[in-house]
Amino acid sequence: MITIKNLSKSYGRKEVLKGINLHFSAGRVYGIVGENGAGKTTLFKCIAGLETYDGLVESELKPLKNHLGFLPTTPFFFSKITGREYLRLLAISRQVLQVDFDQKNVFNLPLDEYAINYSTGMKKKLALTAILIQPNDFFILDEPFNGVDIQSNILITEIIHRLKAAGKTVIISSHIFSTLDHTCDEIHLLKAGQFVKKVEQHEFSDLERELKDFTIGNTLDRLFEET
Amino acid sequence: MANLMNHYFTLQYRMLNRHIAEFGLNPYIGYVLALVGFTGLSEYLFFKTVFAAYIYATLALSMVVNASETGRNEFLKSQFSRSDYFKIRLLENGLLILPFVLFLLYKSIFPVALGLLVASGVLAFLNFNRGFRGVIPTPFAKQPFEFVVGFRKTFGVIGFAYFLSGMAVYADNFNLGIFAILLIVFTTLFYYLSPENKFFVWSYNLAPKPFLFKKIRTALWYCFLLCVPNLLVLGYFFPDKVIFIMAALLLGYCYLILVILAKYAVFPGEINLPQGILIAIGIWLPPFLLGIIPFFYQKSVKTLKQILE
Repeated sequence: MITIKNLSKSYGRKEVLKGINLHFSAGRVYGIVGENGAGKTTLFKCIAGLETYDGLVESELKPLKNHLGFLPTTPFFFSKITGREYLRLLAISRQVLQVDFDQKNVFNLPLDEYAINYSTGMKKKLALTAILIQPNDFFILDEPFNGVDIQSNILITEIIHRLKAAGKTVIISSHIFSTLDHTCDEIHLLKAGQFVKKVEQHEFSDLERELKDFTIGNTLDRLFEET
Repeated sequence: MANLMNHYFTLQYRMLNRHIAEFGLNPYIGYVLALVGFTGLSEYLFFKTVFAAYIYATLALSMVVNASETGRNEFLKSQFSRSDYFKIRLLENGLLILPFVLFLLYKSIFPVALGLLVASGVLAFLNFNRGFRGVIPTPFAKQPFEFVVGFRKTFGVIGFAYFLSGMAVYADNFNLGIFAILLIVFTTLFYYLSPENKFFVWSYNLAPKPFLFKKIRTALWYCFLLCVPNLLVLGYFFPDKVIFIMAALLLGYCYLILVILAKYAVFPGEINLPQGILIAIGIWLPPFLLGIIPFFYQKSVKTLKQILE
């Protein structure tokens, strides 16, 4: 269980997160949606402890970061490190010393090539594999479906189901609504640094319609209007 | 097009100034210090060994090769006409080797200076990185990442240090052998100079002290592995000087610890002027390491606490 109390984050005068309150239970999958710049990635970094913040992030897992698998939007890779060495680095960092990386390579990645030469989707899959090898109880997946092919999309969805079944807590952000629809128990809408709506599974289609109406509105009419 | 090239070099100049300013120096003072430092180190090198001119040329050419990174060159090719692209490459290579050539001329070593000029001109028409796309095997894969990445970037220098060790035996020049060991150690210092992405420290489930000890232990062991050929060759051919060989390695170890601790003392920031000065003092006047290393250690523990705990 993780509870966030009154979490705020500012960069200079700009307040990016404004008094966030949220609770995450074990064995549930949470979706976070919001426009670009709404504060999703900043919130994830604050929960992970990669950014300083005001407020509280409480958990019985202490320190939380040692039980947390964090998949960043754009994972970082060293210029001359192979996929296998990347997996080993992140396994060693959590004291996982005996792993058969070929067996864990469910995405069939070329582990003995430099990771920097992987495609965007392959990089995402490598970073995801690395945090799945770690013994984590809590996962933050920032745009896990970005750039990945359809087959991997199906595989990632199934992985999230398995994590949920194993009692793990998963938080996902995605700009592809259908991926959240298939994986989440509840979705939270983040707008300008604040949560403005919480939606349970049976209301997902209403939220999707609402988001569509809000986003499209009459914008396209303007674009296609004959002059 | 001349305007575009002018703009490109102005931009490069501004970027260089920003780098110096980030280091905590006024750019003009930075240029003066670089000039003084370069001249001083060059004098020292030429004073220490008869192979200085060749070491010098290798250093200059390795800088030129590094500048011929494929991605960067492809960007330049896409933005400039073919002739301007080659003009830029020639000019950049020329600027990189200029200080080396001037010093060689000052020392009246004309053939090496001329060879350097010709080689840098030829290299402007080549993209070296294309040939190195394959994975270079390393004996360091068990504990990524510093030595894995560093070795792949600097294996040429390591090979050169092994060559120097051979030359030390051939020329019966023990000092050159010691220089080769220190060349390896100083090369490994560069593996630790830049901070890694914060994620790769955050990911460790270790407290600051065990984290630092793990990093130091790995660095010392891997540095020793890199030095093994030199140690064996020198130990075999100069058995009466084993104590000096061990002293050189020990001193190198102290430098390595110094740089690792300096990096984490300011992590995730870069090593800047104050740390740079302390590192320089520690390297030139080793007794001061007794104070500087514990100072950086305390700072590192404090800094890492915020990320690891």
